[in-house]
Amino acid sequence: MRFKMYGSFRCRMVLLLVFLLLDCNFSNCLADTSSEATMHTNNWAVLVCTSRFWFNYRHMANTLSLYRTVKRLGIPDERIILMLADDMACNARNKYPAQVFNNENHKLNLYGDNVEVDYRGYEVTVENFLRVLTGRHENAVPRSKRLLSDEGSHILLYMTGHGGDEFLKFQDSEELQSHDLADAVKQMKEKRRFKELLIMVDTCQAATLFSQLQSPGVLAIGSSMKGENSYSHHLDSDVGVSVVDRFTFYTLGFFERLNMYNNDSLMSLFSSYNPSMLMSTAYYRTDLYQRHLEEVPVTNFFGSVMEMIHTDSAYSLLSRKESFRVEIKMPADKSVPDKKRLMDKPSHLDQIRELNIEDQHGALKRTWSTIQKEMEKVEDVDAFVSYGLVLIVPLLTVSMWLKW
Amino acid sequence: MEPKEQSKEKKEKLWFWNWVIASVIFRLVLIYFPKNLNLASRPEVSTPLTSLRRLAEGYWLKQLSMYPYAGSMYHGSPLLLSLLGPLTVKRIEGQPDHLLCSLVFVIADIVNAMLIRATSQNLQMEYTRSLKLLDHVKLSEKPGKIIPSGDIAALVYLWNPFTIVACVGLSTSPIENLAIILSLYGACKRQAPLAAFGWVIATHLSLYPAILIIPMILLLGYGPDTPPRKLFLQRRNVEVGDNPPNDRCEREEVVHRPELPHVFSWRPVIHFLCWTSLWSVYVLVLCGISVKQYGGLWELFKRTYGFMLTVQDLSPNIGVLWYFFAEVFDFFRNFFLIVFHGNILFMMLPLAIRLKHRPCFLAFVYIAISSMLKSYPSVGDSALYLGLLGLFVNELADMQFSFFLFCGYVGVSLLSPVMHNLWIWRGTGNANFYFATAMAYACLQIILVVESVSAMLNHDRTLRKPLTELQDGKN
Repeated sequence: MRFKMYGSFRCRMVLLLVFLLLDCNFSNCLADTSSEATMHTNNWAVLVCTSRFWFNYRHMANTLSLYRTVKRLGIPDERIILMLADDMACNARNKYPAQVFNNENHKLNLYGDNVEVDYRGYEVTVENFLRVLTGRHENAVPRSKRLLSDEGSHILLYMTGHGGDEFLKFQDSEELQSHDLADAVKQMKEKRRFKELLIMVDTCQAATLFSQLQSPGVLAIGSSMKGENSYSHHLDSDVGVSVVDRFTFYTLGFFERLNMYNNDSLMSLFSSYNPSMLMSTAYYRTDLYQRHLEEVPVTNFFGSVMEMIHTDSAYSLLSRKESFRVEIKMPADKSVPDKKRLMDKPSHLDQIRELNIEDQHGALKRTWSTIQKEMEKVEDVDAFVSYGLVLIVPLLTVSMWLKW
Repeated sequence: MEPKEQSKEKKEKLWFWNWVIASVIFRLVLIYFPKNLNLASRPEVSTPLTSLRRLAEGYWLKQLSMYPYAGSMYHGSPLLLSLLGPLTVKRIEGQPDHLLCSLVFVIADIVNAMLIRATSQNLQMEYTRSLKLLDHVKLSEKPGKIIPSGDIAALVYLWNPFTIVACVGLSTSPIENLAIILSLYGACKRQAPLAAFGWVIATHLSLYPAILIIPMILLLGYGPDTPPRKLFLQRRNVEVGDNPPNDRCEREEVVHRPELPHVFSWRPVIHFLCWTSLWSVYVLVLCGISVKQYGGLWELFKRTYGFMLTVQDLSPNIGVLWYFFAEVFDFFRNFFLIVFHGNILFMMLPLAIRLKHRPCFLAFVYIAISSMLKSYPSVGDSALYLGLLGLFVNELADMQFSFFLFCGYVGVSLLSPVMHNLWIWRGTGNANFYFATAMAYACLQIILVVESVSAMLNHDRTLRKPLTELQDGKN
């Protein structure tokens, strides 16, 4: 009896183990297939500047420079959440009112009338930041302040300000800790709010901020490692403060020579950082990211270059009935076989029709099919039609004259 | 007397031709007008079916080897595209845009007027002949008092502001009208191939003239408009009553009188039907060849006739369908499409039964009804039936409400652009303003149809009166 029970117990354990293994495999497969099955459909950018006060001008300039870059490369304002903790452009201490520069040559004015700031001043808090990431807002929050990403989105999260070991300081009064960030990202992954996420942090000891991340599909780069400071690039003696940080300065240097159509890879971006120039080590974390960095173009995160699907059919009122008619044409290089396919279709249908006709004998149908065959043979359509039209007149006069 | 009459006739002819030439010059002046009159953008003038701009777009797509119906701009016939398309592209230095097309439309208008005149001459001949047959004492005595309806109809057509606006406003309705009038003319002249050609082309260009098959068949079978058959029978009875056929000679006399014109002759009708099938096969083959790369004839029919019947474009026009179909629920859309189009169809049979002795007038009534209830009406359609109204000036002389209708038409044609401006450009009005004028226009058309039909029937009754009096007198 005991042996039997033991045997049955062992059988059940074996079955259970097998089930668990299958389950794990299944969920793995599902996870893999789910992330691979969804298509990359849109790009979002969340750009956060967490410092206030005039002497933190450079953090504002960092964020606005990245805002400009991201917009230039194609992400529209509807998909950018810009959080600026203070207003430098209209600050009383700004010698150049309504202008923000990131270089002492003052070539680029980063502020203009097409800058849309979504969270400004005291609205930039840790709570609001986490709400933006997780999407858990109050009902009254407008759409422009929400991160409306979906499972096909690539999100760029750029944070700059004062930070330290495992934290980032918000507004000189509170801090965002690394496990808070990791928790928020985990929630995002759970709610399928992103396909891939790139976190870029430009603070002191930046790499510690994403040390607690565990969600797959996340890539993170920080301007400095634990124990290192990130430095500003240069002081603008006219404005009176430092205007840009080194990490962001070299990032911008990489992007300024790009436009929407370049497909430089992330690897080239990450390897462009020179520790001696940065005066810190730019550390990036790829263990959670499946793809090879050489294959990923920077515009996957920093721009918005979408694949166009060209279709010929028009928007019509009764589209739901006609949905089968939509023909999707692939980009230009594949259009020739498409045309051939279109040409082949009638003859194929003709063959079927011929068979049908032979089944259903009808002299009329046979004549119609012969007419159609003759019509297929006509090459120069326009000339034939115009000859046909011109032929009408003599036909008419002859028939009238003959009085048939 | 004779030279006086001749000079009088010459004067009349000269007067007519002067007015025709003046109308052509007026059209040319409007075409060459330095300021842009912007008539082609008026919704009353150009509809999705008749707009030349859409035809130009369709032709441009065709030149790029794309499907001309892609993008839902052009919805007309591919043959018209091959005919007018090259003309829209040719630009001559220093001349207004689309000059060649405007000239084509002006020529179409002139041909329409001439055909109307020729048709009316035929009708008038028949009218006087039938009056003589009835020995109508009153009416046949004063031939001079019979107004030359042909000249009047042609001039009404040419000088109708609706026609001028449709011609100068680059709408293809002069060509559609040409096809309809050609078919009427051919049927009046008993030319089956011409009538068949006109009918096939008219149906092909805009589906609604298909209902004219009934007046065509009646025209070819019975001949042009005559008083009702009963009158002839009555007349015969009166005569027979007068001289009882005692002698054979008198009986033969009775028999040898000019024949009763109301025997339905099948031969012309069968000829007509044969020619319709021939012409329709010809047109279908040509269309099929021009669209064979893009899905064939069925696709073409969906884009042209399907578009017309399913009212896919709901931009405002002078009709009544757009407003309704903008707010109808999807579930009921097909039902109401059937109802609206059935409105045209169910009036066909009763009118045909009542007016079978007057097929030309029946055609006029059908055209009026279809221009009111078609999916995208324009003033070009009204131009046609207002011109044809002139053909029946003699019979409709006692029409009631004629002044009211005239004022109504003038009022609607002035108010409609104002309401459109208020709605679209100034934003101080809304769609109801514009739709109110459209409804008023539809009401006017209904009153016109009803009054003209009752006037015609009254006229037939007045013809019958003297005969009945004669009969009573005999009895």
